[in-house]
Amino acid sequence: MNSDSFIKTEDLTRIYSSGTIQVVALDNVSLSVKEGEFIGVTGPSGSGKSTLMNLLAGLDRPSSGNISVQGRLISDLNKHELALYRRHQVGMIFQSFNLVSSYSALENVAFPLLFAGVAKKERIERAAQMLEKVRLYPRKDHRPAELSGGEQQRTAIARALINQPKILLADEPTGNLDSKTSRQIVQTLSELNKKQGLTVIMISHEEILLEEFADDVIHLQDGKVIQEERIR
Amino acid sequence: MRISDYIEQSFSNLWKKKLRTILTIFGVMIGIGALVSMFSFGQGIQDNITNTFNELQLFNYVSVYPRSENNQTIPPSEHSNAPEHTGPYTQILNDDFIREVREIEGVESAFPEIRFPAMINFNSEERFSLVQVLPAEVCQSGLMKLRAGRPYSPADSNALIISDSFLRRLDVREPETAIGQQIEVSTLTADLSLSNMPNIISFLKGEGLPFSRQSYQFTIVGVTEKMGFAGPMPVRSDVFIMPAESEKMKKLSLTSIWDLFQSSQQTKGYSMVNVKLSSTKYIEHVKEKMEDKGFRTFALIDHLEEIKTGFIFMNMFLFAVGMIAITVAALGIINTMVMSILERYKEIGIMKAVGASDGDVKKIFLFESGAIGFLGGVLGLALGWLVSMLINQVVNFFMVKQGAPYMDYFSFRWWLCLGAIVFSILISLAAGVYPTLRAARVDPVVALRHD
Repeated sequence: MNSDSFIKTEDLTRIYSSGTIQVVALDNVSLSVKEGEFIGVTGPSGSGKSTLMNLLAGLDRPSSGNISVQGRLISDLNKHELALYRRHQVGMIFQSFNLVSSYSALENVAFPLLFAGVAKKERIERAAQMLEKVRLYPRKDHRPAELSGGEQQRTAIARALINQPKILLADEPTGNLDSKTSRQIVQTLSELNKKQGLTVIMISHEEILLEEFADDVIHLQDGKVIQEERIR
Repeated sequence: MRISDYIEQSFSNLWKKKLRTILTIFGVMIGIGALVSMFSFGQGIQDNITNTFNELQLFNYVSVYPRSENNQTIPPSEHSNAPEHTGPYTQILNDDFIREVREIEGVESAFPEIRFPAMINFNSEERFSLVQVLPAEVCQSGLMKLRAGRPYSPADSNALIISDSFLRRLDVREPETAIGQQIEVSTLTADLSLSNMPNIISFLKGEGLPFSRQSYQFTIVGVTEKMGFAGPMPVRSDVFIMPAESEKMKKLSLTSIWDLFQSSQQTKGYSMVNVKLSSTKYIEHVKEKMEDKGFRTFALIDHLEEIKTGFIFMNMFLFAVGMIAITVAALGIINTMVMSILERYKEIGIMKAVGASDGDVKKIFLFESGAIGFLGGVLGLALGWLVSMLINQVVNFFMVKQGAPYMDYFSFRWWLCLGAIVFSILISLAAGVYPTLRAARVDPVVALRHD
């Protein structure tokens, strides 16, 4: 582990207990990600990919081990500090998009700004600019149900980036998309990574896409890192 | 998040589920409406009674009674602090006493209560009544609320004042039309003259009484409003005349059969003297003097605390009734909010993922409960007001028909209106606490997987 690591995990372990049964979802994972890297995470179902993602996003807490981002221990933050970390440091996109179904595309993109205390006028302006970047401005008033899968994911990307985070976490963003759209979405992420220096961590089953766009691919199995593949 | 955003969010979220929101708000509206009308009714009754008492200066009166074992004119609540008089000796309430009382500091006037039975004949309608003898200065003092005409003065001769409800019984609908009209007052006299021979004969046979009627003509100068309550009040008749006229009339001053037994005893005086004071501050002083002389006294102001306690009990009862409706409404809010949180489970997960703290989530849902309370409160106030006005109109329609004065049975004070809305919001916030805590506890990891 070198000192210039942007995100670092040490012996990260997450155990879920349900009654007397304990499931080790993540088992002593130690990783190091440099700023501006595009990291791919792959592995079979139940290998701990999403658990790792939720821990990095500050949505969940490790059972043991720790995570640091820019030298700050995320695993030690209290609930409120974690909310602030999620608000300003990370953006997330998901396989099922997770857009609010009753909101328009514009409202969905502007949603994080609401919690950041941004005034309404500015929220609308910034969300509109963001939609413009993902080429969805003409569809700003459409609800998620009226958008295609690719459009929904682009809306989700716009929402993830509205607070200008340093890290983008993508949990199988192409899982619900056809191969052509999948490629476009990953290409968008890659452009953000290259042009804006955004650190991207993406879970995917599609190794072809990972090999094309990722700098580094981590293979997980049974909660353990079984292989770390340097691509470029 | 900004306060304005919380407010906007809460209203727009509620509006997304229009039917459910409207039904929940209706529940609150009915609860608050019930509470508001109950409270305003309690307040209205209280205002009416205290205003009338103050307007008529009833708190400025002390009634004085003779103390006697046989005296039956006991006021409803006897002053218990006065030492009990022993022996047959009884102080007499006579004109000398009245003159003496008028000299006491703070006494504005003192007049005996004299009432006698009479038949009142007007436009060939005849009704029985007890005529009260009331000095002109008392009549002019504002004790009487006149609906038509004017109070009588010593310059008038054969002047009479009649109540509007009694006029109605005499088939007169418009009080104004009676002013200036002649009215006949027939008294009962013990008549042993030859002209009354048939009655005397039947009396001797034990079949009748040796009485005859004596008729006097009066002119109606004023029509008074009948007071809505009875009791030991200075004015409690339907027909009033001045002492000077009364003295000229032959009559038996009997108000009950009891007086027939009384008249055989040695004491003869007034059964009660009303003393009017210029201010309530003289009440204790005058009462003490009267009691030292061996009389019993009654002052309404001594019962003010009891009256107030009565109002508190009445308000508490009305409040309890209103609270039943509020409780049902609160359960409706809890139900609505829990449903809303279950439906928006995933949305809560998204909120947290994009940086909402638990506090933000709590506030979003608390503001929604509060918004239901605010809307329900405002609409409930309007409903309560509307229903009260409607009831007031209907009740007055029937009461005025029966000769009662027009009254506002409901009173809406600014603090009641404001209090109703604030109370509604507070109840709704309280109802929102449990659902809100549930919302804040939502695990975003689980919620985001949820479909």
